[in-house]
Amino acid sequence: MSAILPPADRLWWKQPLDRVEGTWIVIAFVWCMVMFAMMVGWHIYGKQNLSTETYKTTRELYSAKAQAMVDRYTVRKETDKEIPVVHPPAGSDVYLVARLWDWWPILELEKDKTYRLHLTSMDYNHGFSLQPVNINIQVVPGYEHVIKVTPNQAGTFSIICNEYCGIGHANMAGRIYVK
Amino acid sequence: MSDDQQVPLMQQLLDNHFLLLFLGVMVPMLVYTLWGVIDILTIPIAK
Repeated sequence: MSAILPPADRLWWKQPLDRVEGTWIVIAFVWCMVMFAMMVGWHIYGKQNLSTETYKTTRELYSAKAQAMVDRYTVRKETDKEIPVVHPPAGSDVYLVARLWDWWPILELEKDKTYRLHLTSMDYNHGFSLQPVNINIQVVPGYEHVIKVTPNQAGTFSIICNEYCGIGHANMAGRIYVK
Repeated sequence: MSDDQQVPLMQQLLDNHFLLLFLGVMVPMLVYTLWGVIDILTIPIAK
């Protein structure tokens, strides 16, 4: 029997299914269903596959919102780039700007309080990677991702950029404080 | 021989090469590309 010759029987559909072939099909199908269910499962129970709200935005509109938050809630400045440290109220919208080549501003959040974290880029694609928790979200210019965060651990967390964005990419690190 | 018997529908479908080509191109195009573009175009505007 050869796979490249026409079937021997004109009505080849009527040939009964071989037991091994039938078993193989069933096993492969069941595994596909398991993997599909895992996609749903990981989204609900996993820590990495997040659901974000997404909006179309502009640089001007978003920077206005971020600047308003910084103007109201800045507590101090840090680093030699004088990045403002912002302590917004619990339950509010907090804005993070990714741009060549830093994360602005530095957020100071409270443990066990929920915030709506907004992310966008002012120029190219960046990658928001919260370490060591390892939560990763693409940050795209022209679009705003909103994610509900509830910090459950106090400390200092770093944000690194994990989407190559040019010569300063390796130094594009920010931080989030959780008190 | 079974020359006078009706060809089963499944066999007619699987023997029709151009139909299979059409489905192989159209189904991914609709389910992935078209649906994806619709998803992107219907992203709401930020307030």
